[in-house]
Amino acid sequence: MLTITDLQVRAGDKQILNGINLTVQPGEVHAIMGPNGSGKSTLVQVLAGREGYQVTQGSVSLHGRDLLELAPEERARAGVFLAFQYPVEIPGVNNVYLLKAGLNAIRKHRGQPELDAFEFLSLIKDKMKLMQMDESFLSRGVNEGFSGGEKKRNEILQMAVLEPQLALLDETDSGLDIDALRVVAKGVNSLRSPQRAIVMVTHYQRLLDYIEPDHVHVLSAGRIVKSGDKALARELERRGYDWTVAA
Amino acid sequence: MSVSLSPAAAVSQAVPPARERYRALFDAQTLPAGALGAWRSAALEHFLATGFPTQREEAWKYTNLRRLEARGFGRSDTPAAPHSSTALDESGWIAAAGIRTVLLNGRWAPQLSGTSPQPPGVTVLALGQWLEHAPEQAAEFLQRHAPRHSDAAAAFQHLNQAFMGDGVVIELADDTICDLPLYLVHHWSVPALMSHPRIIVRAGRNSRCTLIEHYLGKAGDGFTNTVTTIDAARGAQLVHYRIQEEAPQAFHIGHTHVNLAADVSYTQYELAFGATLSRVATHVNLDGRGATATLSGLIMPGGNQHLDTFTCIEHAAGHTTSRELYRGIADGRGRAVFRGKVIVRPDAQHIDAQQSTRNLLLSPNAEIDTRPELEIYANDVKCSHGATTGQLDATALFYLRSRGLSEAEARAILIRAFAEGFVSQLQHAPVAHYLEQQLARRFANLTEVA
Repeated sequence: MLTITDLQVRAGDKQILNGINLTVQPGEVHAIMGPNGSGKSTLVQVLAGREGYQVTQGSVSLHGRDLLELAPEERARAGVFLAFQYPVEIPGVNNVYLLKAGLNAIRKHRGQPELDAFEFLSLIKDKMKLMQMDESFLSRGVNEGFSGGEKKRNEILQMAVLEPQLALLDETDSGLDIDALRVVAKGVNSLRSPQRAIVMVTHYQRLLDYIEPDHVHVLSAGRIVKSGDKALARELERRGYDWTVAA
Repeated sequence: MSVSLSPAAAVSQAVPPARERYRALFDAQTLPAGALGAWRSAALEHFLATGFPTQREEAWKYTNLRRLEARGFGRSDTPAAPHSSTALDESGWIAAAGIRTVLLNGRWAPQLSGTSPQPPGVTVLALGQWLEHAPEQAAEFLQRHAPRHSDAAAAFQHLNQAFMGDGVVIELADDTICDLPLYLVHHWSVPALMSHPRIIVRAGRNSRCTLIEHYLGKAGDGFTNTVTTIDAARGAQLVHYRIQEEAPQAFHIGHTHVNLAADVSYTQYELAFGATLSRVATHVNLDGRGATATLSGLIMPGGNQHLDTFTCIEHAAGHTTSRELYRGIADGRGRAVFRGKVIVRPDAQHIDAQQSTRNLLLSPNAEIDTRPELEIYANDVKCSHGATTGQLDATALFYLRSRGLSEAEARAILIRAFAEGFVSQLQHAPVAHYLEQQLARRFANLTEVA
């Protein structure tokens, strides 16, 4: 489904990714772990089409299609979703407006009819229940005045609405207390499906107690230095990242 | 600093051709006899002596009037021919906006104005009619209610006075609460004319009303030069919308003078998105304890538009409050200018004055100049000002696009969100709705360009 081959990326004159190779199959959950500055966030942002990075070598394909030549919105329509580490506050734009506009843009691309306001509301109400979000949130500005936990829940709600094939979660656990983490993890787990792949970036093993990965990769200095199953995450927790670098 | 006389000024007293044109137009009209004629002649002489302001004058530093000066305009002194309403595109008017008075090509158009009986305590009078039927009485009134001439505004006020043809006089008796807004439409249906309307509003004690001035028309390149004076007696509450939506080739100059007695609340919403060149100046005099002025605006130049907003708030009395919040959105080669002056007179203590401007630049060739000026002669004063100018937030754009929205949609959404900070304060629903539509249209055009 997703094939990353020798991906090398710079930001300005700084080399961040030094040849990433990764293959993700439908239904799989991959965790990418690593110390700060190892390039975890850069990887998912480049996959989602964030500007400001230069891909100097390598390729990324999604279902055989070159992902890197697509604009961010085209990637979204092709089924890529990025849950932001720091979701953006946009006062003056309703949550419901953004969700509906995004969903309809994607549906249109898929050749599905656009949803009207009523159809959309009934769709979103169930998903909001899942994320334990109050209905008043719909009329609020996008992430405006949201707590850290609300912002992350909102990201997963968006994911639930947009139903991506490839979900990229960027430090979704950061800044969450244990209750909020449970809600977010429950949301993500409910979205696991044989057709959908999830790539989650995290610094801590804690998230993986709630969302169990099929594969764990350790990123260091822009390279995957170790891959394994969830046992690798436990070992990391015990022995620290230095161990992988030394290995 | 040395001052050198320009050779032209030294050699000859001849009036430059641009001003001669105005003299010729003036001489070609039949001037009323008596005080009114004398008053208007005197104004013309003042104008001819000074001409249009130049950028050497501090208040006009950012606005060059040469394009306006170079153009000739015809006088619009015959009352508008009876129009069937189908001959006139009224689609731009705000539906259900209240008691309507229409100036068509600068002249009162009774057939287009609201004919319903005026509410008790409210008098709306067409100035042209009054000038015609009782010139001496009207002249006396006009002189009594002439604005204080400030240097920055003098030339255009003189021009307005010299060529005054029509306008509106609104009086609210004490304690009158007018629920329907007073809606003034200034509409061009003929190109290349000039109009010098005067609007005089006198709000009695504890009266309340909403005034909407709306300047528009598709007929090209007219020159509108308005002078509005508002006098509010103790305890009055006024909300004043000023919508400048002239055709893209038009010139628009507007001067508003507001005098507020004690405990008056005056709120002004300025919207500027029409005309090739516009300058809208508001001078507020807070003349009584407890008076409050709240001014806000949305200025949106695009193309080659130059839209200048100038405010001067004078705290003449103690315990007065002023708030200014302006937003600018500039696109293309558009340029917005915001100059906000606050004067606190000696002995005017316990003053609270805040000014803030937020600007959004949508293109590398757009420009917004913003400059606060404070002149404070009292010591117990709270004055603040702040200005920000930026571009659309790149992270927010990426966020929206990563949810499937096109770049053009994402930009349009962020621009509207920025404008929403202004729109959300509008209290009069038909105006707010109208503005939403205009914004949607404007940004739809913009996204096509993008």
